[in-house]
Amino acid sequence: MQLDEDQVLIKKTLRGDRKAFEELMRKYEKKIFSFVVRMVRNEETAVDLTQDFFFKIFTVLDKYNYEYKFSTWAYRICYNLVIDHIRKNQTQVDSLDDEGVTSHDLLASDNVSREDGFKALARAETRDYVWNIVDQIPLKFRELILLRYIQDLKYEEIAEITALPVGTVKNRIFKAKEILKKEMEKDGMLV
Amino acid sequence: MACLSDETLIACNEGSLGAIEAARVRDHLLLCPACRETAAHYRLLERALERPQLAMPPARLVPQVMERLFPAAARITSIAAVAAASFVFLVSWIYIYFDFSSSSLVQALRLTTDGTTGWLAGIIQGITSVYNGAQAVRKALGAMLRILFPAPLGVVAIAVAILGLSLLLALTVFRPRLKKAKRT
Ligand SMILES: [Zn+2]
Repeated sequence: MQLDEDQVLIKKTLRGDRKAFEELMRKYEKKIFSFVVRMVRNEETAVDLTQDFFFKIFTVLDKYNYEYKFSTWAYRICYNLVIDHIRKNQTQVDSLDDEGVTSHDLLASDNVSREDGFKALARAETRDYVWNIVDQIPLKFRELILLRYIQDLKYEEIAEITALPVGTVKNRIFKAKEILKKEMEKDGMLV
Repeated sequence: MACLSDETLIACNEGSLGAIEAARVRDHLLLCPACRETAAHYRLLERALERPQLAMPPARLVPQVMERLFPAAARITSIAAVAAASFVFLVSWIYIYFDFSSSSLVQALRLTTDGTTGWLAGIIQGITSVYNGAQAVRKALGAMLRILFPAPLGVVAIAVAILGLSLLLALTVFRPRLKKAKRT
């Protein structure tokens, strides 16, 4: 069987090569941390959870099945860890409910002058703006957007990780995009 | 012709429409400014989503995990310390038990160092006197304990020492793992 880069690192780790595991962590830390921090919306908690995730990965690495992609397997463990944490500490309040509240509530505290028109904003700012709204949509939509765009996963992989039917994943991502577009329009972002 | 649904426009942006459906959407967009605008909005959104700015994890993240996984330095030094202590302890007991202070090797060593001075002679004399002292204590204890226990004191002492030291060694090796297991 042809092993990919991750699987070679896993083999080395299981043979006792610590550097190999460190390399594996370095490869994934940014994506995992970005996902976790946007899920829990607290940096310290995100650091703890990301560390717990790598610790867990190490302890169950011998159970990894080489027929599957390491990333999908790891993301599922990460997703479950984060969801467990959120369920145990259910204090998350989403600024936007399913229907989408007014953008005035959403960004009222921001010192952004919306009336000047977001049209003029540079592309990087558009991106930051969009991701700022992503942070505020309900978890059931947010988690899928994060898996799709931060972890760069296909609908089928997301379905596998979240244990949701592919159809549901697809519908929720579509719905999430509708919410995001609506918010952008409300803010005069899209004219 | 009916306007395009949001779902169709999103799917079009994602490139997940079939060839025929995509052609139908293209035709409609040519004729309908409203749908064209909505499509443009979704395109802008898609572009923003496709380039997420990843959060930078703190530099301590990976090193701390490594430290938690492999508390290596502490473990190696504590094992070495226990091994060294075991060695000194066992050698002492064997020395005392077999009464090496009166053996020919020690006698010879003593003879060679008697005439000489310097740190080597000092060390040997020091060790011998410590062992001689221990030997005297053992003999006194032995005489006392022989009245209470029938087994030879030396054998019992070495057995207890080996048992105790293996227990200590086992604890040093397994304690980090127990700690690790408790944390998870
Ligand atoms: Zn139309």
